[in-house]
Amino acid sequence: MSLLVVNTLPAEKAQAAIDRLTARSAESRVIHTQPLNIRPCIGCNACWLKTPGRCAMRDDYEEILKAYLEYDAAVFLSGTALNFVDHRMKNLVDRLLPLVTMYTCVVDGQCRHVPRYNKEYRFGLLYDGAADQAYLSQWMDRVALNFGGKSLGAFPLKQAKEAFPCTL
Amino acid sequence: MHLVIISGATRTRSKSNTAKIVAAFEEGYREGGNTAETWFLSDRAQWDGAAKAFEQSNNILIALPLYVENIPGILLEFLEGLTPKSAPGTQIAFLVQGGFPEASQSRCCEKYLETLPEQLGCAYAGTLIKGDMFGLGLMDEKEREKPLAAFTEMGRHFAETHRFEKDVVDVFAAPEYLPEKELRMFKLFGRPVQKLFMGRMAKKMGCQGRLDAQPYSTGR
Repeated sequence: MSLLVVNTLPAEKAQAAIDRLTARSAESRVIHTQPLNIRPCIGCNACWLKTPGRCAMRDDYEEILKAYLEYDAAVFLSGTALNFVDHRMKNLVDRLLPLVTMYTCVVDGQCRHVPRYNKEYRFGLLYDGAADQAYLSQWMDRVALNFGGKSLGAFPLKQAKEAFPCTL
Repeated sequence: MHLVIISGATRTRSKSNTAKIVAAFEEGYREGGNTAETWFLSDRAQWDGAAKAFEQSNNILIALPLYVENIPGILLEFLEGLTPKSAPGTQIAFLVQGGFPEASQSRCCEKYLETLPEQLGCAYAGTLIKGDMFGLGLMDEKEREKPLAAFTEMGRHFAETHRFEKDVVDVFAAPEYLPEKELRMFKLFGRPVQKLFMGRMAKKMGCQGRLDAQPYSTGR
């Protein structure tokens, strides 16, 4: 299984976890977001209605958006704040919207946006700092559901070696 | 009683559905002599003022659009920059509006919001949830009157109770899930109606391609 690692932490803090993750995958790519210019979503709807599939903001996020499609699974490395992921991670997730269309359908009794690509995304989270693991796992389940994918779960960074046991 | 409202919407005030909802809510809250002030985080020039208002007030409402099952990144960034209060006595209530019609879509976010005030040294005063708000910005003023009047009523309620009581907000938030009959209708007619409606919106925005285009398709 090929693996995309999207690291929002300082590289030196994340390196040991990255090494553990990539060692378990035949093909991998690591994107460090801290040196990149990634702006927050501004809710303009251009990715749905003006330039479908493309974000209106011309920053460094496009490269990550393309990479989600090229790898079987994506694992995010995130800091925490206020018992949740921090805003850098949340901004990345908010900007996943171009992966779905504005059209909606019903999945398991709830409305969902129709996925833009025929791909079952797999998203996992490794977090550094204090947070509620059970809640982060639930949130990741819901995030994945919104994009027609599956969550690999949420684990503390120090558990990188054992995390996602059935997948990587 | 004075209320500090912080809008965590990402859209500029003129295009923000949250701003329209907050204005209607504030109208109801102000009746009977209460006062309120609203800060918009979409304008970064307001962040210092909003932080000061948070610091000085003990009655706070945070309004937000649901963004991928939780609060928008810019609101999280703002909250991360606040100094948690050391003295008790401040309460935070939340108003969450979403595009999907079901209240159940906002429950994961609500679960987080129940824990958030404690992180900021404050008490939790409930969450008001309402879905199906995407079209608010597309309506003319007359069409918006009815949905916004419901928020004005909730503003009146909040002025009396100073919190969102679970039994009241659950009725307001309904439906929790769409009824079977509506789901069947949606499955039958949803796609053609959406194609027509969204196609028109896209044309107005200058879209020249298909709404289900795959610009980064890899063939994998």
